[in-house]
Amino acid sequence: MKIKVISRSTEEFTRERSQDLQRVFRNYDPILRPQEKAVEYVRALNAVKLDKIFARPFIGAMDGHVDAISCMAKNPSQLKEVFSGSMDGDIRLWDIAARRTVCQFPGHQGAVRGLTASTDGRILVSCGTDSTVRLWNVPVASFGDSDGSIKTTIEPASVYVWKNAFCAVDHQWDGEHFATGGAQVDIWNHNRSQPVNSFVWGSDTVISVRFNPGEPNLLASSASDRSINLYDLRMDTPVRKMIMMTKTNSIAWNPMEPINFTVANEDGYCYSYDSRKLGEAKCVHKDHVSAVMDIDYSPTGREFVTGSYDRTVRIFPYNGGHSREIYHTKRMQRVFCVKFSGDGSYVISGSDDTNLRLWKAKASEQLGVVLPREKKKHDYHEAIKKRYRHLPEVNRIARHRHLPRPIYKASSLLRVIADAKKKKEERRKAHSAPGSVTTKPLRKRRIIREVE
Amino acid sequence: MAEKKRKERGDANRHTGKKKSKRTSDNQRKKTCPRLPSSLKKEIEHLNPTPVDVNEIDSDVYEYEEELPEEESSKNKRYDPVSVNDNNDLSSDFEDVNVQSDDDGNNIIGIKRNEIVSDDDSREEDDGRHERMMIPKLTTTWKNDVIPTLYPESEYNSSHDVVEGDGHISIEDLLNTLQDAPEHSRLRLRNQQIENSSRTVHAPLPKADQAKVERKVAYEISKKQVTRWQSIIQRNREALTVYFDEKIDLGFSTIGAIASEFKPITEFEGKMAALVHHHKVIEVHNNDGVSLLDLDDKVTIEDKKDMQNRAAKLRSQNQAAKLQSLLFLHEMKAKRVKKIKSKTYRLLKKNRLKAKSSQLEMDPEAANEYAMKQECQRAEERMTLRHKQKSPWLQRKMQRGLDKQDIGTCAAVNEHFQRHEELIRKMYNMDSSSSDDSTYEEDNENTADSDLDKANNILRKAKQKTVEVLEEDDKMPNSGLPSLPFYEATIKEVNLTVQEYEDSMKKLEDSGGSEDSKVASTSGRRVFGMAKAQTIDDDNKVELQKFCNNSGSKDDFEAKKSCNIENEGSDHLQKDVNFDEIVKNLGPKTTYEVSIFASDTWKKAKNKSDIDTDIKKSSKFPRPVRHNVKNSEKDQWREDSDTDDEGLMVDGILTSASKPSYELPSQEELIRQAFAGDDIEDDFEKDKQEILNEENPLLLPGWGQWTDIQQKKGLPSWMVKEHENARRKREEALKKRKDAQLKNVIISEKSSKKAEKLQTRTVPYPYTSKDVFHQSMRMPIGPESNPATSFGPLTRPEVVKKPGVIIKPIEFEEVNPYDKPGQQSVKNKKLNRI
Repeated sequence: MKIKVISRSTEEFTRERSQDLQRVFRNYDPILRPQEKAVEYVRALNAVKLDKIFARPFIGAMDGHVDAISCMAKNPSQLKEVFSGSMDGDIRLWDIAARRTVCQFPGHQGAVRGLTASTDGRILVSCGTDSTVRLWNVPVASFGDSDGSIKTTIEPASVYVWKNAFCAVDHQWDGEHFATGGAQVDIWNHNRSQPVNSFVWGSDTVISVRFNPGEPNLLASSASDRSINLYDLRMDTPVRKMIMMTKTNSIAWNPMEPINFTVANEDGYCYSYDSRKLGEAKCVHKDHVSAVMDIDYSPTGREFVTGSYDRTVRIFPYNGGHSREIYHTKRMQRVFCVKFSGDGSYVISGSDDTNLRLWKAKASEQLGVVLPREKKKHDYHEAIKKRYRHLPEVNRIARHRHLPRPIYKASSLLRVIADAKKKKEERRKAHSAPGSVTTKPLRKRRIIREVE
Repeated sequence: MAEKKRKERGDANRHTGKKKSKRTSDNQRKKTCPRLPSSLKKEIEHLNPTPVDVNEIDSDVYEYEEELPEEESSKNKRYDPVSVNDNNDLSSDFEDVNVQSDDDGNNIIGIKRNEIVSDDDSREEDDGRHERMMIPKLTTTWKNDVIPTLYPESEYNSSHDVVEGDGHISIEDLLNTLQDAPEHSRLRLRNQQIENSSRTVHAPLPKADQAKVERKVAYEISKKQVTRWQSIIQRNREALTVYFDEKIDLGFSTIGAIASEFKPITEFEGKMAALVHHHKVIEVHNNDGVSLLDLDDKVTIEDKKDMQNRAAKLRSQNQAAKLQSLLFLHEMKAKRVKKIKSKTYRLLKKNRLKAKSSQLEMDPEAANEYAMKQECQRAEERMTLRHKQKSPWLQRKMQRGLDKQDIGTCAAVNEHFQRHEELIRKMYNMDSSSSDDSTYEEDNENTADSDLDKANNILRKAKQKTVEVLEEDDKMPNSGLPSLPFYEATIKEVNLTVQEYEDSMKKLEDSGGSEDSKVASTSGRRVFGMAKAQTIDDDNKVELQKFCNNSGSKDDFEAKKSCNIENEGSDHLQKDVNFDEIVKNLGPKTTYEVSIFASDTWKKAKNKSDIDTDIKKSSKFPRPVRHNVKNSEKDQWREDSDTDDEGLMVDGILTSASKPSYELPSQEELIRQAFAGDDIEDDFEKDKQEILNEENPLLLPGWGQWTDIQQKKGLPSWMVKEHENARRKREEALKKRKDAQLKNVIISEKSSKKAEKLQTRTVPYPYTSKDVFHQSMRMPIGPESNPATSFGPLTRPEVVKKPGVIIKPIEFEEVNPYDKPGQQSVKNKKLNRI
């Protein structure tokens, strides 16, 4: 007679330590669990609902400025340090962990329009309408003065007076150059009192200038003549110009994709461009109902945050047409500047109401230390949400946002206008000779031309 | 003053311009050209023996002339004329300026004329001009920074003409003066070389165009520069997960590393360090602290010896312990080896068994002994029910539920029960007709009167034997083991069971007679001879299962009936019996075998409630086991049927010839009986039609039937047409249905609202085809349906980052574009912690 025996090797089943988990076998045969898919769907639904319950994106406001905040800069080497400049010429360094001012940098006579910090976080560069560029030494935070009682003021390390007012400044990544935008784009060195290079193309005011962090010799600027310019420091000449129908307020390069950049336009849309093909936008991000004032990429390069004149902050995926998230509060006025934090998990906005606001990049994210099991659970929830996001109920709950009435009305109005336009276009097409009326795709529609 | 002067100048310009143009045109017409110096002519001829191509020279000249954009622009007064003068290195003489501006216009006209003329003029006419035009060429080729100016004759520079015939000083002229110099030949040679390798110098473009071209080139370059990121970006975008939390340098590593970096700072620390790092301390430390006490040299030699002794003792003790543990291990190992069931082991065992069995066969006494042994085992099993439920292990397993156990445990449990079954089973195969005790159960229950006595005898014997066995056990206590309490308890239990057994035997004996009488009168509990009437009556009770092995051929038809027949007549011993009735249609001869699967038979009726619960609990697993048992039983039955007559196969009651014989109904009859009173096909047709009407409705009924008038008139034509259309549409729709071709199937196409929320209307964005989407949604990703190894990757988010870690922008690294896009993508080597 053949004897059936349970065959198990002792090595496999002996625990090394008494705390080790006992090995458990499961039968994963799907036939045994015919309801598993339905169970998972319900889980996804619950996860989406939980997301709504836990969505508390607003962490806190930081007040201290007495005028509208015009510009911000994050310290690339310090996660919790953010600089902000206001219209009355005040510059402050904030500790966003404690949400208080660390120190002030007084000196500007007019509005501060541009702020940037060097990559090592030692030098802060500011410029403004008083035609000066000021360099400041950033105080190094130590453990001693973390109690917050001391508010210091700092003298500028150097002041360079120039011929014209400045509108923007940006620092090169891992270099010692910085670029200012005013009447033209000037490239400065830390140690020189005069620009080492300047780029002129056309004669209008440069509104914003931004270095490419991945490719430190490339920079882009936008001017009030509705143009977007590309420059290359190695070539000593402007490289390319593109003119759109409306003014571009701000530019942000994708830090993980040095080819691509996104511009915040006056028409309420953001346009992502490939710097090699400026004739057509790669993606049009639309949701804002008023001019987009500032834009900043997440350091992961997967999303960016925009601040708009419609008093909202939105977060877009880098390749998505519509925003993933909208942030607003009753007291937040026109948003002039936004920044992603260095680790990509917070968003800081500065607005007309003299406050800086700190938001979570993911509204329902759990802050603090997350245990591995919790993390696994969150990951699972994310995965099933993503998996079942096409289903109507999940989609509806996930997309639902409570909007301020003016924005809701404006967006519905815009939709009506767009629909009407589209209808008219279709009718025109239908009633004219075939081929005589062509619709330009949205990605090209707002571009006037590319100038060599 | 200045203004006045300018005015004058302007006037002069205009004046001279007019005059000049006139003159030059005259000149051209006359085809008189300024004479070259003869030496120069010779030189040219010497250089160019072949006639020079007119067009070529013309183009040369043209291009040369183009080289004066600033001068040209000065005419438009966009440039400061003074600066233009400076550029040309001319004196501030007004006249010269005027001349120059004149010349421009002149030149252009002249050139144009030249071009026009060159087309139709003869070559000889142009010869002179060729030579003249050669001069600027020569001069330009001399050096780039020499800006040559062409001075055609005019009244203002007539002085030049007068002096030298032409307004030019060529290099040859200059060289001629140096003819005596020693370097002359070399200079000439060089000059010649330069002339031979002469190229035309293109005129610089206008500044705007120049900038444009520069920008274009720069853009191309920077494009190329940027394009090298393409593959990296591609890889990152295609990666399922991008990691930003790799390689975080926390700054310090192990405790040892930190400790090694420690340096004493304060005085106290210094003292401590001096003590700790004392060479003796270190030595002691190295010697495992055995001689820690002899730091101060106070320990005597004896003490040392003593210590050594102690250490030796300790060591020996340790060794002993080690040996012991080794022994133990060896023992354990031996046990394990004993348990191993390798093939060879099995083979050996088999051989041994064979030898034994052969011995059994050969030696009747040994066989008897063996049978006795077996019987003992079986009796013991029946009494103790050791393999039934008692074992705590099994109980535990049952409590937890068998469906939660793994396969191995299930198998073990099955085996357990099987063993039990085997042990208590009647031994049909045993040839010992009278001495075989195991037949007593069924015999007792079923056999007729004649058999009963026999069985009773056997039973009595078996009882005696078991009692003996037990008594033997009772006698054993001297050996020491039985003094243990649990042993006593088991003995008691066994005695109890024996008593119960006896009781039951008595009862059975009592009921035996009555049962028999009942058999005669009420046809007993299991009357299969008269079952025909009963089965129809108990139609609702009978669960009929068809196993159509060959649906076409009726020969091999096997109908299995399992029925529960209430047994009111019998005593408390048994309330219901399970039958597995197998009806077989074997060819023309209609016989049927009945194998009774009275699972535990009446013997276990005492524990009946337990058994029932047991069956319910283990409703999942025992099925296959029982099948096995049944099959084996059946086999045994068959074997019996070979040897014995058919009466044996059937239970006792059936074998009695007095019962009316049972005629098995034919196949068709059976089916008819089973489906009596329902017309399934028609019902189905009706159902299908209803569903079709519901899902593809006709036009509204009552259309055109509202009033008498309508009915009289008949339907209006448009309505008829409409009806016709509707009918055609419906037919088409019906044809398109999935169940159109399937006669016996209804596939409803109605979309239910509950299912709607689980479905998407369209295929969602990244997917292009329905199948791919379904494929991706097929398997759940939860931890319940995936092992931990695949659960992690399935639920990994797209971006993995750590809060509090600054992510730096991407850095360039070479990527092989033909590599597979792996999971690892962004390698941020420089990650900082705050």
